[in-house]
Amino acid sequence: MRNLAKIFSLCLVLALPVLSLAGCGMDMAGSGYDLYIFNGKGESAQALKDAADKFSEETGKKVKTFSLGSGTSSLDTLRAELNSKNMPTIFSIVNIQELKEFEEGGFALDLTTVTDENFKMLADEIPENMRLSSNGTNSFGVPYNVEGYGYIVDTRMVDALFGEGSADDFLEDAKNASYEEFQNLVIAVDGYIKNNTAASVVLDGETYTLRSEKTDLSSKLTGVFAIAGADKWTYGDHLVNVALNAVFDNPADAAAATDAQIASLKGPLTAYARALDFKTSYAAGMNGPVTRGAEFINTTTANYDSAVQIFAQSKALFIKQGNWAYTNIAKINEEIVKTLEFIPVKLPLTDADVTSSVETAEQLNRSISVYVPNYYAINAKATDEQKQTAMDFLVWLNTSESGQKFVTEDMAFVPYNADHQNITTDNSLSNSIIRYMEDGDVISNPYGGAPVNWSGDVLGLEIMEKYLTKEKWTEEDYSAIAEYGISKWNEMK
Amino acid sequence: MDKYYRKWLLPISLPALILFFAVIVIPFVTGVLYSFTSWRGTYFAGGANAFESFVGFENYVNAFKNEKFLNAFVYTIKFTITAVIAINIVSLALAMMITTVSRGGAIYRTVFFLPNLLGGLALGFIWQFIFQNVFSDVLFGPQGLIHIPALTNMLQDNTKALFALVILVTWQMAGYMMIIYITGLNTIPRDLYEAAQIDGAGALAQFRVITLPMLMPAITIVFFLTLANCFKLLDQNIALTDGNFNTRLLATQILRTTRDTAPPDYGMAQAQAVVFFVLIAVVTLVQLYVTKRREVELH
Repeated sequence: MRNLAKIFSLCLVLALPVLSLAGCGMDMAGSGYDLYIFNGKGESAQALKDAADKFSEETGKKVKTFSLGSGTSSLDTLRAELNSKNMPTIFSIVNIQELKEFEEGGFALDLTTVTDENFKMLADEIPENMRLSSNGTNSFGVPYNVEGYGYIVDTRMVDALFGEGSADDFLEDAKNASYEEFQNLVIAVDGYIKNNTAASVVLDGETYTLRSEKTDLSSKLTGVFAIAGADKWTYGDHLVNVALNAVFDNPADAAAATDAQIASLKGPLTAYARALDFKTSYAAGMNGPVTRGAEFINTTTANYDSAVQIFAQSKALFIKQGNWAYTNIAKINEEIVKTLEFIPVKLPLTDADVTSSVETAEQLNRSISVYVPNYYAINAKATDEQKQTAMDFLVWLNTSESGQKFVTEDMAFVPYNADHQNITTDNSLSNSIIRYMEDGDVISNPYGGAPVNWSGDVLGLEIMEKYLTKEKWTEEDYSAIAEYGISKWNEMK
Repeated sequence: MDKYYRKWLLPISLPALILFFAVIVIPFVTGVLYSFTSWRGTYFAGGANAFESFVGFENYVNAFKNEKFLNAFVYTIKFTITAVIAINIVSLALAMMITTVSRGGAIYRTVFFLPNLLGGLALGFIWQFIFQNVFSDVLFGPQGLIHIPALTNMLQDNTKALFALVILVTWQMAGYMMIIYITGLNTIPRDLYEAAQIDGAGALAQFRVITLPMLMPAITIVFFLTLANCFKLLDQNIALTDGNFNTRLLATQILRTTRDTAPPDYGMAQAQAVVFFVLIAVVTLVQLYVTKRREVELH
């Protein structure tokens, strides 16, 4: 009897760790679905799930979707999932820097090798400059959508500054204005905020005069730009990307940069440093203008959230952000999001600086950057049956009426392939992007093809650490920033 | 009793052993193995399995050629030395104060121990606010109580950030170490001090000749804990500066290696982790050996 009790308790003790470990692998036994989508964009989690449910309803295939919260990097989780037995058939890839890993590991299916007719048509129709390609001929992803960024401006604020009804003309003229004209605009508005001087400015030949009396709205302004000074991407990534467009057409072009191309970044990067010096001299703060210095890069008061708040509370005229900031701005001020528009980020470039297919400095300064932020990739290691279901889903999502409804309405995306003339969204910023696309005034995102971390963690961080606390920047500083960017690019490529 | 333990030793310790093997030993051995391969997180570059993509010591060579790793290495050592000294002085001072106060000792003990209950990330963000706003503006800024430039904007400079981190971990760990020191102090027989007083020894001499030697067992434990914890510090480093201004500690550096490289070089990150392990193991073992030898026993 005592022996029995002993054996029994031994069994219990042994079962404990086995049970607790088994919990980790529960879902290993039988997948129970035909398609597993790993979604890297947390913002569209619910909409994608709804779309997947609708697809299941129409085709009878069971679909599992998985998304992490927005703003979290899902790469580590994706790697773990790709190592597991039930790996995802569709997963997302952000850009060609990230593609390297999945191409080399044999996970990304080259869409140009696919024979399925419907899918081949979809893959062939992806515009060439939007392809996720490592060598110019292959293609590894179907775009989620397109996004764009520039200086966001509230048209009501424009009316408040320059008189009722001036916004429409202002937007057109500010878009076409030269860098010098833009500079004068900033200086004039700054003088108006600080000293009430109602000056006139010329934009693309048209004269705009500031109202003699500030309105309720314009008296809230504390500066011209809302800047997330403590975040290093503020100085790398999107802002420097505008300068990179002077040399590179797209990320693939940047990834395959020649020595001559890298050297020719000198002019654009110097112009970028000059523009950054100017921009950071006219920053808005919570209670008044902010000057460069320790306060400027204070992580508790000058981060992304505070910049968005400053703009949403009408304390700044411009904020450099993309249409993805829409919901964050709306959270703070429901009213302002209805009247937002983009104007391009401008740089003091000369035509000699611009060697890419954009061709002229004027064209570059009137364009906003529009690009694919995320791609659906198909797992090459999945079974043929799984791959077929994945292709059917992507074709359905991007071409069928019910699929497109989810893309434009539920996910609130600007679709990459739609006929833009017939599309308006509820999102003012997306509409602004669509207009720029219609006019053909768009540039790409070559920074996505720069060496990994070059833009934010290296160049952006260097600028933040060494220059943002300096009151005055000199010509040597501009040149040093450009040289640093070039030498690091060469070192890291 | 002895028989009882002999009989039940295996069944009782088995669950712990199985868990220890499953979550520590096996991953550790796999990790060491991976540090000799070109593991990329989801696949082995240049081969189908670990053995085909064996690269020898290449990952280790690359790690030591990596400027960021070397920076983090030196910075971690500088930080650990400063922090261990600071924590020990503060916690011993607190312990001696508390053992001499006649009333309210328990309250002080609780208060000093409290910071230890906070998690590293939360603590980091709290201190980020203190350093950036309270220190930089309210207390030591140009318009503050007393203007001390060295204590303003501590997170925006490599050296200042080191001391900022030391202040943080001292605040966090001193309370815990203080408890160990109090226990140690309480085991010292009072008559030793009485005898010393009769012989005419002053407070300093008493501390040097009686307190320190008698406290050696506690010092061994405290040194071991602070050394190991400071070497391994991660959350606070990330929350406070996120490695900006070259302030990455080794743990942060290892974590970020896969983000610094594309495709992610998990092999090299793993090699750094092995170096990290060896470093901590050697330093703490040497420390244990040295302090143990100084322990005195009363016979």
